[in-house]
Amino acid sequence: MVGLDFTALESPTLHSGFNDLCIADHGTSPSFSVPPVADFDGFQKAAVQMVKPAKGTTTLAFVFKHGVIVAADSRASMGNYISSQSVKKILEINPYLLGTMAGGAADCQFWQRNLGTRCRLHELANKRRISVTGASKLLANTLYSYRGMGLSMGTMIAGWDETGPGLYYVDSEGGRVKGTRFSVGSGSTYAYGVLDTGFNWDMSVDEAVELARRAIYHATFRDGASGGVVSVYHVGPGGWKKMSGDDVGELHYSYYPVQEAPAEAEMGEA
Amino acid sequence: MSITSYNGSALIAMVGKDCFAIASDRRLGVNFQTIACDFQRIFKIHDTLYIGLSGLATDVQTMHQRLQFRHKLYQLREERNMRPETFASLVSAILYEKRFGPYFCEPIIAGLNEDGTPFICTTDLIGAKQLSKDFVVSGTASESLYGACESMYKPDLGPDELFEVISQALLSSVDRDCISGWGGIVHVV
Repeated sequence: MVGLDFTALESPTLHSGFNDLCIADHGTSPSFSVPPVADFDGFQKAAVQMVKPAKGTTTLAFVFKHGVIVAADSRASMGNYISSQSVKKILEINPYLLGTMAGGAADCQFWQRNLGTRCRLHELANKRRISVTGASKLLANTLYSYRGMGLSMGTMIAGWDETGPGLYYVDSEGGRVKGTRFSVGSGSTYAYGVLDTGFNWDMSVDEAVELARRAIYHATFRDGASGGVVSVYHVGPGGWKKMSGDDVGELHYSYYPVQEAPAEAEMGEA
Repeated sequence: MSITSYNGSALIAMVGKDCFAIASDRRLGVNFQTIACDFQRIFKIHDTLYIGLSGLATDVQTMHQRLQFRHKLYQLREERNMRPETFASLVSAILYEKRFGPYFCEPIIAGLNEDGTPFICTTDLIGAKQLSKDFVVSGTASESLYGACESMYKPDLGPDELFEVISQALLSSVDRDCISGWGGIVHVV
């Protein structure tokens, strides 16, 4: 496996025997066996095509005066087929760190759980919580070492640490960007439109939650690959809290109640 | 994406007791983006004959215009409306004319014969007719639609029950398809 040298990040431990038993699988990046085929590159190309990174989703996160808001839809699509309307796309890494899922579901779930494990180990070794900067760097370095091998992830790491609210975007190409406003996925352009128009740094928590809900709702309306349920989380000094989970269909009728439509002109009557 | 799933569509027609129902979704999209929620896919040819067209939206509109033209000409010459079977043959012939550069649409024809018995049939994009006694489906959600119709359909339903059954079948199928949905319209005759 192509890799960066992680030995500097390894926490020093007293009991090397203990280390071998438990941490061997978690402390280092997991190593995966490589398929023994004649044409390795061709095989990898075909495998990447099979997974077909589609990133059909809408997730967003933004920082404001009272913390970080993270919101996402819940639809999983395989091409045109909706495989699920109830996917948890906001992953709870630990009580004060959230990660979002976009791209390959398996990739996101596995590597963010792996990140949670390593954050916990950091806490145990250093007797203090890991910062959002540190957590996102751990994930980004792991993903960089698998660069080009077909992982598909566009994730945002949001949390609250000693320096205040933190938000990073990390992707499977190995990119890591700090920012105050991100939206990821096929519906992101629609969400940006609503989010950018309605954003105000001094919003109250309720206003921010409502803005995030509206942005995701509008994205699910226009984008066929997003839908299901809008989940909104708020990350404050005490950690994250799930604020709401609303079905998109019901939101549609509450935002745009049905009015009596005038008789539609049909093509049949010429 | 394939050309027939560029715009997204879902259509069903079902046979009841001396009546038929034809239903479609209302979404018009371009790949994943939704453009409109009021797109018309079911067209009335005459009081007891309807055609629903799924597939590429431009071909839906063109096919409708061509068929309406041919039917009006028929009305002028024969001084009566076309029978459903005749219309189905007309549709089949018009589609096969374009055998080597086809219209990318798959029509569903639903009508009542002169004796009041319902008639439904579907054709593929180059005109192969397929008559059916119970229901026909078409569109990007067709596999889901087949499943829903198969489980929900009962023969000899009255108009009200038929409306319920066809609506539920349509709604539950488009809920599993990204590119169809956003409303539905049902015609019961």
